[in-house]
Amino acid sequence: MKPLRLLALFIIPMGLIIAAVPQNKTKPYKLTADQLLGEANARTQYVAPEIVADMIVKKDPSFQLIDVRNQDEFEKFSLPGAINIPVSDLLSDKHTDILNQDIKMNIFYSNGTITANEAWMVTRQLSYKNNFVPEGGLNYWFDAILNPQKPASTSPDEEFAKYDFRLSAGKALGGGLTVQTNQNQSSASSKPALQSAPKKKKAAGGC
Amino acid sequence: MGPLSVNELISENTNLFLAFIIGIGFGFVLEQSGFSSSRKLAGVFYGYDTVVLKVFFTAAITAMLGLLFFSLFGWVDLNLVYVNPTYLTSAIIGGMIMGVGFIIGGYCPGTSFCGVSIGKIDAFVFIGGLFLGVLIFGLGYNIWDGMYLAKFLGSPKISTTLGLSDGVFAFLLIIIALVMFRVAEWAEKKFPREQY
Repeated sequence: MKPLRLLALFIIPMGLIIAAVPQNKTKPYKLTADQLLGEANARTQYVAPEIVADMIVKKDPSFQLIDVRNQDEFEKFSLPGAINIPVSDLLSDKHTDILNQDIKMNIFYSNGTITANEAWMVTRQLSYKNNFVPEGGLNYWFDAILNPQKPASTSPDEEFAKYDFRLSAGKALGGGLTVQTNQNQSSASSKPALQSAPKKKKAAGGC
Repeated sequence: MGPLSVNELISENTNLFLAFIIGIGFGFVLEQSGFSSSRKLAGVFYGYDTVVLKVFFTAAITAMLGLLFFSLFGWVDLNLVYVNPTYLTSAIIGGMIMGVGFIIGGYCPGTSFCGVSIGKIDAFVFIGGLFLGVLIFGLGYNIWDGMYLAKFLGSPKISTTLGLSDGVFAFLLIIIALVMFRVAEWAEKKFPREQY
């Protein structure tokens, strides 16, 4: 028998079977309390501020920053490109399209992480995907990204690499003034070449 | 190693080590199948040798059926399978550049390294071009980052876009593949080459 016929004889019935059976949708629509507690304990919602900074600087279109503080606080300061959805307004119908989608990665932030985590828990309970919280919130953002502290000279190389990244990201995002005061003031506004941030886990393939 | 790494059953380093072993196996199979010959690879565009089309399409269909059946039996959670995000503009432009490079050079990136591993000079030249392209892309990133990141669509599946179930789409793809294989066999008879 010709190889092509042999192949057809095997894969056409397989294709027919897979087309005829219903898709496996046994996953529960909503998370149980146990599952939610498991995710919270595993800290699956957290994303490192370096990754957020990297995405902001690179104008990555695959994420959306969502400021979950109230409007006054949002107007005083917000991260570049962020939209404001106060946590009290989270369940409003007009925000459903933004919160419940599987295209962009939503990043909830607040001053600390409590309010952002409230937003994450509510959306997770609704089994919305793609919602995350930056570690430490805005407070940590100011310390880590905008005004990073130089590691001790005995620190491992990774600490220095992280510091260099934070410094260049902070400068690109308009920070770094306190560490730059004795050096070149004008460099704070210019965008230096960004060192690459630690990457998210990704699979790669191809021929 | 998808599920093992994502669920942190193995460490990142073990994952890289397994990737190294699998990579060597993949390269060895490619080389043994004759995929280190640029003439054989380019044959798919001229019709005299379509083995590349057959091998890669058969591999894709096998993997597709495997994943769908594994998901049916509850062995694999397809939500954990990483799907490359789609940036439509760069996918189209990158696809065209890759296609032109494939016709001119006779290699795709993976097979060019197969060629290098057995000392093919044209594969060395191809990889030189590959690194040159990487360098130009990296140095000029600020010029084309707008285009590179344009039309972000998330990780859509064709089946969802067409409103079909994954199974029905898989069956249609199998039919399309078989028709393509038939056309490929016809092309090999129509445009034969004795030596290449």
